[in-house]
Amino acid sequence: MSEVTLTIDGISVTVPKGTKVADAAKQVDIDIPVFCYHEKIGPLGCCRMCLVEVEKMPKLMTACTMDVAPDMVVKTTTEKVEKAQKGVLEFTLLNHPLDCPVCDKGGECPLQDNTFKFGPPDTRMEFHRANNVKAAPLSPVITIDRERCIACQRCTAYSERIEQGQGLVMLNRGFNNEVNTFNNEPYDTRYSGNVIDICPVGALTNTDFRFKARTWDLSNHDTLCAHCGVNCNITVGTRLNQLMRIEARPNDAVDDGWICDKGRWGHNFMESQNRITAARENSVGSTKPTSFPNFPIDAPTEHAAEKVVEAFKKIVDEHGPDSVGFIGSAYATNEESYLYQKMFRLLGTNNIDHKTYQDTPGLPIDHYDIEQIESSNIVLLIASDPTEELPILDLRIKKAVSNCETRLLCLNDQDTALDKYAHLKVKYKIGSEASAVDALAEGLARELGEAIEFSSTLDQTGISADEMKSLVEAVRSSMKVCVVYNPAALSGNAGLRVKRLLQVISKIPTVECGAIPVAPATNAVGAMDMGLVPDFYPGGVSVKDTEQVQSLWGENAPTKAGLSALEMIAKAKSGELKALLVYRSNPAVDFPGGAQVVEALKNLDLLVVHDMLETETTQLAKIVLPSNGPGFDEGTTTNIGGRVQTRRKSLDTDHIADWKLINVMLKTLGDETGYPRAAKVLDEISMKVPGYQEIDSRGVGKLGLNREKVSCEESSIGNASMDSSDKLRLRIANYLFAHDKILDASSKLAHHFKASIAFLNEKDASSMNVGDGDAVRILGNGMEINAEVKVDSRCKPGGVVVPKISDEQGVNGLQNLDGSPAWVSIEKV
Amino acid sequence: MTQILFKDINKEGLHTMKVYEELGGYQSLKKAFAQKPDEIVAAVKASGLRGRGGAGFPTGLKWSFLAKDVFPRYLCCNADESEPGTCKDRELLLKNPHLLIEGMILCSYACQIETGYIYMRGEFHDLSFIMDKALEEARAKGYLGKNIMGTGFNLDIHTHLGAGAYICGEESALLNSLEGGRGEPRMKPPFPAVEGLYSKPTVINNVETLCVVPYIVNEGAEKYASLGTEKSKGTKLVSVSGHVKKPGNYEIEMGTPTSELIYNLAGGIRNDNKLKAFIPGGSSVPMLPADKVDTPYDYESLAAAGTMLGSGALIVIDDSVNIVETTLRLISFYMHESCGKCTPCREGTRWLYQIVERIMQNKGQLDYIEKLEDICGNMSFKTFCPLADACVAPVVSSIKHFRSDYEEYFKNVGVSS
Amino acid sequence: MSEYKFSEDQEKEIASILAKYPFKTSALLPLLTLVQRADQVVSPEAMVAIGKRLDVSPAYVQSVLSFYTMYHTEKVGKYMILFCINISCQLNGSDKLLEHTAKKLNIKVGETTFDEKFTLHREECLAACTEAPMMRVNDTYYGDLTEQRIDQIIDSLD
Repeated sequence: MSEVTLTIDGISVTVPKGTKVADAAKQVDIDIPVFCYHEKIGPLGCCRMCLVEVEKMPKLMTACTMDVAPDMVVKTTTEKVEKAQKGVLEFTLLNHPLDCPVCDKGGECPLQDNTFKFGPPDTRMEFHRANNVKAAPLSPVITIDRERCIACQRCTAYSERIEQGQGLVMLNRGFNNEVNTFNNEPYDTRYSGNVIDICPVGALTNTDFRFKARTWDLSNHDTLCAHCGVNCNITVGTRLNQLMRIEARPNDAVDDGWICDKGRWGHNFMESQNRITAARENSVGSTKPTSFPNFPIDAPTEHAAEKVVEAFKKIVDEHGPDSVGFIGSAYATNEESYLYQKMFRLLGTNNIDHKTYQDTPGLPIDHYDIEQIESSNIVLLIASDPTEELPILDLRIKKAVSNCETRLLCLNDQDTALDKYAHLKVKYKIGSEASAVDALAEGLARELGEAIEFSSTLDQTGISADEMKSLVEAVRSSMKVCVVYNPAALSGNAGLRVKRLLQVISKIPTVECGAIPVAPATNAVGAMDMGLVPDFYPGGVSVKDTEQVQSLWGENAPTKAGLSALEMIAKAKSGELKALLVYRSNPAVDFPGGAQVVEALKNLDLLVVHDMLETETTQLAKIVLPSNGPGFDEGTTTNIGGRVQTRRKSLDTDHIADWKLINVMLKTLGDETGYPRAAKVLDEISMKVPGYQEIDSRGVGKLGLNREKVSCEESSIGNASMDSSDKLRLRIANYLFAHDKILDASSKLAHHFKASIAFLNEKDASSMNVGDGDAVRILGNGMEINAEVKVDSRCKPGGVVVPKISDEQGVNGLQNLDGSPAWVSIEKV
Repeated sequence: MTQILFKDINKEGLHTMKVYEELGGYQSLKKAFAQKPDEIVAAVKASGLRGRGGAGFPTGLKWSFLAKDVFPRYLCCNADESEPGTCKDRELLLKNPHLLIEGMILCSYACQIETGYIYMRGEFHDLSFIMDKALEEARAKGYLGKNIMGTGFNLDIHTHLGAGAYICGEESALLNSLEGGRGEPRMKPPFPAVEGLYSKPTVINNVETLCVVPYIVNEGAEKYASLGTEKSKGTKLVSVSGHVKKPGNYEIEMGTPTSELIYNLAGGIRNDNKLKAFIPGGSSVPMLPADKVDTPYDYESLAAAGTMLGSGALIVIDDSVNIVETTLRLISFYMHESCGKCTPCREGTRWLYQIVERIMQNKGQLDYIEKLEDICGNMSFKTFCPLADACVAPVVSSIKHFRSDYEEYFKNVGVSS
Repeated sequence: MSEYKFSEDQEKEIASILAKYPFKTSALLPLLTLVQRADQVVSPEAMVAIGKRLDVSPAYVQSVLSFYTMYHTEKVGKYMILFCINISCQLNGSDKLLEHTAKKLNIKVGETTFDEKFTLHREECLAACTEAPMMRVNDTYYGDLTEQRIDQIIDSLD
């Protein structure tokens, strides 16, 4: 992009063409006051606060709407400008109440600040101020003070341009205009809370934070959101070791300055009644001989941890290393995952996993970061529903489509909210993702004249040849493709097939390409990188690569592939697996298999669960260890874009940090490393994990650092096959505000909780004679759940989409223990 | 006086195709189609025609600013006539719809436009039926549609009704409204000629402006340019209202003395009262005192007298009126019509209203006049569109010329009015 | 909220309105006008239906609707009297005539008569200044008003 040089207040500044004068001024620390302008939202020109003098222009100009021009001479401090600024501020304050002493925005209010710097010392207004409504709910979590609103339209522009939902609008006109919603309905989108951060006055406030603290009394902690895989940057404001509020902390490489409502208000779990605060021994499995040496009820957690390790060692001694296993978490930090895999590999096993789907670490092509979406001219979204899974990714895709001429291609088995932004939307039958992905790869390979060793079966997918042709053509003819795929929503080995597809795309000579794996969990990428998988050591080092494994991990490091999480459950059921440590995971509810998982876990000699909240699984554990979790913990996570960032603690706790506790366990196992600080674990990660060489706490800093690409092993996969049935294929969809352990009944977001719904295709609904609103039972895997029918075309005939709306709903139980796509039948109640 | 637009205005049945054609209507098309589009643009430029909606921008120049080689392009006829005092376009729409259609066809041909809209204010609902009927007749005759008169030129024109918002007469607000949005003005640049309706190059012209074009094509630019003054060419429709005996729309040659309009055409002041003030170009322009009544009615002379020709609405005020009353009514209008987007306009119009209202209640303070002037200064040229400036015009000019009218109220401070 | 249904005739008209524009949001004002002329009011249900038809949110519809003065969200009388009080009419005595009209209808300006026959509103300039003072009753303009003429007009409406 070409550069433009101009002069502002006598200072020469060079900026890219298209920059607004207001932004150019910032580069040279010249403060042009604004209210309505927000660099992420774009110019509005409403507030008129940023008037400046430009040589050769008769009128004062708004710096926020004006593009820089070569040799432009801008003056921001002339008498004319100062008079105008005072005038505009006087108008702005005319009907704004001076209730700063009780206003939550006080101390961080642009209106206060601009008045202080540029305003008139007093007002000439001598009439009654307009009597607008004070403190009305705009939603259960946002309060609007209409009398404080200066009608700058930032929030409504945010709704229109960023959310693109037109939920929040200006009603009426002139002096009577107001920010509102349709028919006074609540403004409760997935990202509504950002309007609080961007409101330049105290008109939109966080209901939860109102009157809780003065902003200057808060301790602000720069940390990360721990909900989804975007890892948005946040600032947690605390007072007296209590969480007061969460705000966005802009990081263009990650969140573009926005956070979702779950990130902002989904923090009640930190003070949940349900927290596990001490180690305990449950009286479960009393009929089975326990291998566990009892420990006193009031023993320190460290003591319990030592006992856990001793017990595991004992079982390994008696039954061999294959008799124990570890199910980790895609929600844990890199440090925690790293240490745990180290511990279990020291025990001699690769029975280590953290997921219920097939995946391998790394990518065969570049791992793009989130920002690359904007510079890609094609985003190919496979099996992903960012709106429900990674809301801030959804915003980024919408931004790319509307501002950057990016074209979105959706390849999915269900309709999603992003479809309406798609240039092309191709829907396959539920369960046929392997064939759909293969067909695209095959089509591209044929175009390239590449030899291919597989043949796809498009007719299984319900995709027409023409649709596939357009999809192939759209990818082939692009200049830069970013493939965004959700491995967690791909059944069987379809995730591996996507990697094969990526390889094909990388062979198109004219196309630059990269991918972003978007499993929704906080640290899904980190968990893979840290080797929480049965067949790979950290950094994608295959267990089969004996030489490298031994050079990194010692002579005794196990090189036999271990069991996957689902295999461990199966072996627990069969009795071959004796002991299992589950860390921050709830297999009893979240794994396929339902009751069978519970049976399997009950069958273990020893189940240890290390978690922060009580779950269905902790109830089955012999030993429960407390975990601190987000808010209290520290460590790094790697987001979907491969960016490593630091999660810092916001609240102090007396409880031992998870990484320290695992360190205790490692020590008990004879590992003498010792980590005085979490950063030391990161140092070891950077030494031992390929891709993380450049990562250290200083480099990661406040805004994070991208790790190097983690290489990916080519795996051979044959042709896709599909069984058939007269039942319906089940697709479990995600719902952002599911009522689970994190968003419990006391959550500020409880108004978003939903009832169980089954989305049926019109065709199936009519053949089953059910309609909208009918209550049905969904049966599968010997289990049943209730749902209400919604008839539409969310999926193709032969399938049913059921969003996971709560733990209680139990939808995962409809799947078979082996995790294969489930067949279900539907019965009208 | 030469009558171009009003030549046959009161002819029975003029609004029908039959009568319109009998009187020579649509003759310009053949002439135009024999020329290249650029030649029409050049002729309009040469004629000196300036926009009759209020801003007075040279029409041919406006047409020539269209972004090169970007299609489709649109033509929007601004028939939102809402400027207080102005009702000339309504008369044209009501009585001579085909003249506008003919003008729009010429403009579209000249600018290579295939779709035109006539944006009429919502209150003109009945007029839209007349216009729709005329458009239907034009389609039936082949003046609109595909391959018009065998030239390969396609054009259709549709009516579009607003719904009550003065600001939609501002061209960029009109575009937002026509796109189905709130009638808030847009940022400029980009100008409509580059990114207008649906972000495509767009010509926006007032009804009267477009109605002049057939004459220019038929009679030649020179003939049109020979009318009026050196810089203000041609004729102008003036709506004369207020305290005159014969209010009405009159077509005059540019440069005709204002007094001629008031005393001759409009029959003089009612009840033979004395003229106190007049607003020459619609409520948005500064008012002038009686002693300026001989000012020639053209762009330059009125500007020299400290006001503007505006939309050509001459509002006549006799000496029975206290100007403050009139001023307050106009402020009230602008307060009501402010879209609310820009702070100085949204807040300023209301503040001015509050102060002047207070003055009229005999509760004014002596520094109110100074304050009014200062507030006006803080409003003018500080906003997106000229609505704030329009509100300031009557306040500043009334203080300038009729300060004593304000002072009347201060004499009675404390006495409830 | 119940679903708003367009009549068959309205559907035909909607189709011809949509045919005028390359982008359907342009049909927003015409559709609102269509609904209001049928119902005398634009209900929230209608806003939802129009939004759905034009692919915009109901909030957007309401935002646009509330910008313009000619749309009503509360029922108005059978005859909507818009009485111009702007400058040319003011100079010709509209204030007094408006007062007279209100008295004649036995309501305040801005109100609707008890029998829901008349609603009386102050109105800004309606572009008939040469016929000042004037008013618009539904779609009809009445100029050169006097007290007698107003009485006659009102009495003639049934």
